[in-house]
Amino acid sequence: MSADAQTKIRSPEDLAQLRQELQRLRHPERPCLAICAGTGCLAYGVNKVIDAFHAELELRGMADRVEVLATGCPGFCERGPLLTVRPQGIFYQRIQVKDVPEIVEETLIHGRVIDRLLYQDLRTGEPVVHEADVPFYRLQRRDILWMNGLLDPTRIDDYIALGGYSALLKALYTMQPEEIVEAVKKSGLRGRGGAGFPSGRKWAEVRHAHGDLKYVICNADEGDPGAFMDRAVLEGNPHSVLEGMIIGAFAMGSRQGYVYVRNEYPMAVTNIGLAVEAARSHGLLGEDIAGSGFAFDVAIRRGGGAFVCGESSALMQSLEGNVGEPRAKYVHTSEKGLWERPSCLNNVETWANVPLIVNKGWEAFAQVGTEGSKGTKIFSLVGKIQNTGLVEVPMGVKLREIIFDIGGGIPEGRPFKAVQTGGPSGGCIPESMLDLTVDFDELSKAGSMMGSGGMIVMDDRTCMVDLARYFLAFLKEESCGKCVPCREGIARSLEVLTRICDGLGQEGDIALLQELGETLQGFSLCALGKSAANPVLSTIRYFRDEYEAHIRDRRCPAGVCKPLIEYWIDPALCTGCTACARPCPEHAISGDKKMPHTIDLLLCIKCGACYDICKFNAVLIRSGESPSPLPGEGSGEGSVPSLAVEA
Amino acid sequence: MMEPSAVDRILERHGRDPANIIAILQDIQAEVNWLPEEDLRYVCRQLDVPFSKMMSLASFYRAFSLKPRGKHIVQVCLGTACHVRGAERIADTIARELGIHAEGGTDAALQFTLETVNCLGACALGPILVIDGEYHGGMTSAKATRLLAQVKKAGDNGHDDNGG
Amino acid sequence: MSERVKITIDGKEAWVEPETTILEAARTLGIDVPTLCHNPALEPYGACRMCTVEIVGKGWSQLVTSCNYPIRREMEVLTASDRVVRGRRMLVELLLARCPDAPLFQEMAARYGVGRPRFETQQADLCYLCGLCVRVCHERVGAKAISFVGRGVEREVATPFFKISEACIACGACEFICPTGAIKVSDITDKPIRPLPLEFDMGLRGRGNIYIPFPQAVPNVPVIDRAHCLYFQAGTCRTCEEFCPPHAIDYSQEDEFLDVDVGAVVVATGFDPFDARDKPEFGYGRYRTVISGLEFERLASASGPTQGKIKIDGKVPQDIVFVHCVGSRDKQQGGEYCSRICCMYTAKQAHLAHDKIPGSNITVFYMDVRAFGKGFEEFYDRVRAEGITYRRGNPSEIYRRGDRLVVRAEDTLLGRTVEVEADLVVLATGVQPRADAAEVASMLSLERGEDGFFQELHPELRPVDTKRRGIFLAGTVQSPKDIPDTVAQAKAAAAGVIVELSKLRRKAE
Repeated sequence: MSADAQTKIRSPEDLAQLRQELQRLRHPERPCLAICAGTGCLAYGVNKVIDAFHAELELRGMADRVEVLATGCPGFCERGPLLTVRPQGIFYQRIQVKDVPEIVEETLIHGRVIDRLLYQDLRTGEPVVHEADVPFYRLQRRDILWMNGLLDPTRIDDYIALGGYSALLKALYTMQPEEIVEAVKKSGLRGRGGAGFPSGRKWAEVRHAHGDLKYVICNADEGDPGAFMDRAVLEGNPHSVLEGMIIGAFAMGSRQGYVYVRNEYPMAVTNIGLAVEAARSHGLLGEDIAGSGFAFDVAIRRGGGAFVCGESSALMQSLEGNVGEPRAKYVHTSEKGLWERPSCLNNVETWANVPLIVNKGWEAFAQVGTEGSKGTKIFSLVGKIQNTGLVEVPMGVKLREIIFDIGGGIPEGRPFKAVQTGGPSGGCIPESMLDLTVDFDELSKAGSMMGSGGMIVMDDRTCMVDLARYFLAFLKEESCGKCVPCREGIARSLEVLTRICDGLGQEGDIALLQELGETLQGFSLCALGKSAANPVLSTIRYFRDEYEAHIRDRRCPAGVCKPLIEYWIDPALCTGCTACARPCPEHAISGDKKMPHTIDLLLCIKCGACYDICKFNAVLIRSGESPSPLPGEGSGEGSVPSLAVEA
Repeated sequence: MMEPSAVDRILERHGRDPANIIAILQDIQAEVNWLPEEDLRYVCRQLDVPFSKMMSLASFYRAFSLKPRGKHIVQVCLGTACHVRGAERIADTIARELGIHAEGGTDAALQFTLETVNCLGACALGPILVIDGEYHGGMTSAKATRLLAQVKKAGDNGHDDNGG
Repeated sequence: MSERVKITIDGKEAWVEPETTILEAARTLGIDVPTLCHNPALEPYGACRMCTVEIVGKGWSQLVTSCNYPIRREMEVLTASDRVVRGRRMLVELLLARCPDAPLFQEMAARYGVGRPRFETQQADLCYLCGLCVRVCHERVGAKAISFVGRGVEREVATPFFKISEACIACGACEFICPTGAIKVSDITDKPIRPLPLEFDMGLRGRGNIYIPFPQAVPNVPVIDRAHCLYFQAGTCRTCEEFCPPHAIDYSQEDEFLDVDVGAVVVATGFDPFDARDKPEFGYGRYRTVISGLEFERLASASGPTQGKIKIDGKVPQDIVFVHCVGSRDKQQGGEYCSRICCMYTAKQAHLAHDKIPGSNITVFYMDVRAFGKGFEEFYDRVRAEGITYRRGNPSEIYRRGDRLVVRAEDTLLGRTVEVEADLVVLATGVQPRADAAEVASMLSLERGEDGFFQELHPELRPVDTKRRGIFLAGTVQSPKDIPDTVAQAKAAAAGVIVELSKLRRKAE
């Protein structure tokens, strides 16, 4: 919460003055422990760490000299909890409560670095001391995310001290609304929510639409599983989004805005709420913003747990208090949107780019990126990847670079198989296409799409048929049910895929999936249905052999599809430690101590508990081999081609 | 069922505006852990919303429960990242432990409700479990079982926050 | 005034107002685009996707739903391109898999050449969530009793909490508009569902709130039943007003009371049929297969409720009994007089029944046969020659035995009681003065006889005049009579009027 009272900003000079004062108070040399307190690190238990620091500093009488800064998510989620000791910029990762006294003693008091808490370069093994040198950060271009580790998202003063709201004042006092729209157009900014629609064009449509009541909306209903860029931005730097919206409202002539946050992001809801209140009390929202005469206010709304509400027309229905049913958009929502009025809906990241364009100027913004895709994009890199987290790169960077250089490649040295971009609406990209660049048009040509930025990396232990089935199961849950092709077509596609995964696939199933896919693409009402076939069609396109193995050979090459696999203990590797027998919920594992154990396949429910726990990699998954091996037979290599997957 | 005055407070908080119906329902559910029919009817009468529309809303949005929920809300993330790390197995395990359907539901004693969620945005820590608003990462079937046992033993955890 | 826009559909050109939908334009061109969720009285919904068409341009094409795509610029559209047809066939296949028992989809499957679906039907449904019922209930009727509940494949049309609805007004619009018969009003409400009886068809069939009273009505235009019209009851609907091409519907119309100065009045207010419920021994009103003479008239009429087929509850009767003098020549019920028309109309009806139902057994119970008119006796002979049995006797009661009726009568010629089984009994109900006869008589200061019919000035010499000068009688208001006699009396009354008016005119000059 903002420490000081109502410092109402009434002019650019007020803001400049306030910024100077705040910067003065911030004492660049003052020690600061910047700890990520985003949702991810929260799940790591970082609250206890923060409390421990407070307690330790209190104990040592240092509480007034050292700042403990709970920041938003800087994106290196794999290594959380994260701590950057400033001003040196020493970067510690995976810190725990027990490390706290040592950090205070060694680093804060004596200025010494604790080696075991440093990040080690994955390739060289060398420890990296400074945050700026960590390859994960260094190889990114963090135009949007750079502030996330530097401010407390609940304090507007931090944002202002770092230069926040200067773009707004510049826009209000030195630019005409039409000028701002032109700037956004020329910048080449395209929507970051998934569709990549040219934002400037949308702004122009809204600006020129009939009616004097217009709305600007922030779509924070980030529903793609595996994507959390918007969460990080909204949680970690809500003012950046707010500033973008106020500028947009000024440019388009809107007096009322909404931020629609999905229900599953409680911290984002809280933080944007605090930001709105703080902005209001500083005169940056409400009547007569910053003394310019422009009036605009924002209301926060929560979703109810429906992925389809990320679709713009469904979102607007939800804002009106209706069920999230999309409607035809032959008449754009920029003409008739929320309550049939001109509405500009943009994604969180899109709004966050706006202050950048205003401050840098559109020419500088357009220098970054490719011909068709300007600026940077934040991706959430998840799945089978060393460095799970948020990666911000200029458009035009190769996938290979993101996954291997920044992401650190696949854990345990396993081979890369595919990366899914665009979530359930996107497609998979195989190894052969890793030199594709992240660019809206390039990815579409390859049968996928940029989507909101989710990038799910998969190794050889991911079954692509099961993946397609997973996405369809997701979409079936989330389909609103209004139109026939989506409601019936997705359910039937899922049936076919489930059959295939169950070993009951038939000749003609692949063609049937493609037929259903064509109907979904051409005949669905909204983007959820229209893109529902993408995961299926792209996996068929690049991994047809896996489909055929399931259908013709009743075999799952990745060892995933339960009805097609069996768990087996290799007697040559099993030491008889009995560690696997205990967690088995069906008591299917038998064997004497120090003797090879066996799994009774009739009892085994393939829960994987034994597989997870075996330290000797003796539990194997086999597919396509028959009959089941008897104890004492062979060591994993059967006569029938099979994949022995090691634990 | 809530006292009418308590419902009125919630309605006032949201300007008695039917457009805010989702927020109103969320607040009611936050207080009584589900959406009782009588409270929904009361809201409809107060805001002049047809009861059939209320039924559509309450049954469309997954956040809402038209049946009483358990004292402890257990949410399993089934997002893609968690999925590839075996989240479904954990959901199955928990369902078995609690005697509930794997797709979600409440046990007979109204102690636990299992809900599946599609991505909580903490993908680095998958598989994720949220129990009574507290996040737990890096889950395995075994860890989940231990966690549930702890919750059961602790009785009322004192955490009523159903956020997330 | 906005510029018209040119649209070419399947090669045919049309010029339309901007914002016209492609579907509307296609219909004006007579091009049939299939729809499954469209109704002109409701907002387009765009859910079924069957109306999808392909807009084609240079090097591009776009699939859109024609029901809600507004035409704003010149365009070319194909309603049955390969892409469109492929998609339509898949939609039909999906729907048939969901609703295999719906004749609608079976027909569509035949039309589009869709064979057995490649998908299993888990639970056959008739509802395909077109939303027509929900939309009509919300948009037109305004009761808002039902809605969509749940989402995705779990979505269904339901009442709140699946309980009987309090909001439903049992208007039947949902059942009426449902293309597959999936929804029944009785599923929504437990209010009694009573169709409005069509008065002209003796209540043998129902009618809507807007109806033409009978085929020969003058003027031959529909009327709105204010007591049941949704607009008058609840201020909603107004669909008829919207759709009437010449905008002839005006809800503000009221009865007008006119003061007219006249020199003559003809009272031709007609009669009421005898209500056979007043003779409970015949079972009228209790048994569906005991009907009155007028009801039989409607059954036999080609414009009646059964298009001229004699059938009750879908069954064609084989054994029919006609009973004379019901409510006539009766000291207890109806009138002591003879209703004059029944012997002949019964003979006619017996003849019709015999003609329409080959092999039927028809019996007529009579007291007398009064075949007094021109050609009447000959007709009566002919009817008996056709094999219709005339038995002299007055039935004492009619009762049910199993699923048949039994007519019990004293056959006076045989001298014993007989019981005749029948599938249908027609009671020759007589003619009665109208219920409001006393009121009308008092209004005009006219006299009525003991039997309630209006009194003529002289029974032989002045049959159309009344005590009051300038007021004449015509038709059954004066006494029971058939059509030729009514026409003759009407002409006589008209002549009387002419004489009276010319006298008055001469006086005025």
